[in-house]
Amino acid sequence: MTKHMTGTRQEWLTARLELLAAEKEHTRRSDALVQQRQALPWVRLDKPYRFETEAGTLVLTDLFQGRSQLLVYHFMFGVDYTAGCPSCSMIADGFNGFAVHLANHDVMLWAVSHAPLAKLLAYKRRLGWSFPWASSLGSDFNADFNVWFTEAQQREGVAEYNYRRGGHAMDATPVPEPVAQIAATCGTDVVTYARDRPGMSAFVLEDGVVYHTYSAYARGLDGLWGAYQWLDRAPLGRNETGVWWRRHDEYDKR
Amino acid sequence: MTTSIPSPSNVVSREEWLAARKALLARERSMTHALDALRAERRQLPWVKVETPYVFEGPQGPCTLADLFRGRSQLAVYHFMLAPDSDHLCKGCSFIADHIDPARQHFEHADLAFVAISRAPLKRIEQVRQRLGWTFPWVSSHGTSFNYDFGVSFTKEDIAAGRAIYNYGTPIKNSEDMHGTSIFVRSDSGDVFHTYSTYHRGDEMLMGAFMWLDLAPKGRNEGDGVMSWLKLHDEYEASDKAKDGCCR
Repeated sequence: MTKHMTGTRQEWLTARLELLAAEKEHTRRSDALVQQRQALPWVRLDKPYRFETEAGTLVLTDLFQGRSQLLVYHFMFGVDYTAGCPSCSMIADGFNGFAVHLANHDVMLWAVSHAPLAKLLAYKRRLGWSFPWASSLGSDFNADFNVWFTEAQQREGVAEYNYRRGGHAMDATPVPEPVAQIAATCGTDVVTYARDRPGMSAFVLEDGVVYHTYSAYARGLDGLWGAYQWLDRAPLGRNETGVWWRRHDEYDKR
Repeated sequence: MTTSIPSPSNVVSREEWLAARKALLARERSMTHALDALRAERRQLPWVKVETPYVFEGPQGPCTLADLFRGRSQLAVYHFMLAPDSDHLCKGCSFIADHIDPARQHFEHADLAFVAISRAPLKRIEQVRQRLGWTFPWVSSHGTSFNYDFGVSFTKEDIAAGRAIYNYGTPIKNSEDMHGTSIFVRSDSGDVFHTYSTYHRGDEMLMGAFMWLDLAPKGRNEGDGVMSWLKLHDEYEASDKAKDGCCR
């Protein structure tokens, strides 16, 4: 690391100001993109999705809990998994800390997964989380929002994830090593593991009607990995050659 | 950043939505790639050797900048606005702080250490930490030039003379403390270098809650008052907690 170019404060400042201009331009472009996202049309949802929760069976409108907006994190915890996906767990660590702020700003944030509720709640206790988590087992919710695929869809290569067929690491043959590693930590084979996918969806409730406004997948979730936002400022950046992250209770203490 | 909820006339079929969404996806992808390039550019910044022997006050006693790395090669410093002789507790900094423990339990395993540094004496820091339940390391720079050297604190004289400059160009007219993030690296020989500092909206990406709100139908929904809705996490009304009670 000492091979990195060093400079005087003045030299650094010149380079920093140039970077600042690029960062400001990016912030402005991000603001514009957020506006375009909010300008997306809405799709009315009439299907009566049902979820199993700690409060019993709920429908989609119940999940808003008095707020007008609902954000769902499609947490990869498939029916056959023995533990939740470690990457989703890292994202969940983040929102577990700030969901209280969103809940007081007209936004309910829920995690929704395919696994039965008992599995979700046991894992939630293990990791010490407090955000609400619903099981969509038996409903079309995960399939309709493109985060779960049937064996046939997977076999025939017609699964559309992130708005296209194929193209994602989880669809590749052979499956990349990091995906296989993560599948093993969830107690499944990689094919079963890859039938569930990560994503987020946004909904709005107006006059008792729920509308779907937005969904994002794959690198569309980049901004939600809190730890990466810090690493992206560090001199070594993400500095990864494979899967370094673990569930937060699986790291060696140091 | 705020827009009103569009009228229901903007309701379309799934196919029409998908066409609009795919067009937006193309723009999102281009932004993701532009951000990757920006990060690469950030890593190209030259490093500046830190020559000042700062001594901070931490819970275990005095410590140097090198000590704060705790065996790692990189250090992120959050300049938390907490001033001496003041009871003010910054809501924005506290909001960022709510994001730190969840994130650092991961990134500290990727060779990046974390510390918050404030001008307030350690006693005050410990009071705030206990109240809000944060566990990240937090030390006092009281009596050192650290905050001034890294552009987050300003003397009354500099403010009066118009010499107090924040975020590489914004004149500061009254506040003696501002927020920011600075990054340091430690070489194998033990030298510490400053690599990067960011301020103002540069800190936004560290606020995961904003990243989520940016995906919500109403966005940040703040009207004209940036973060006007925000409270300390123990100040939200009990009724709000009760409302969530069924699922907690």
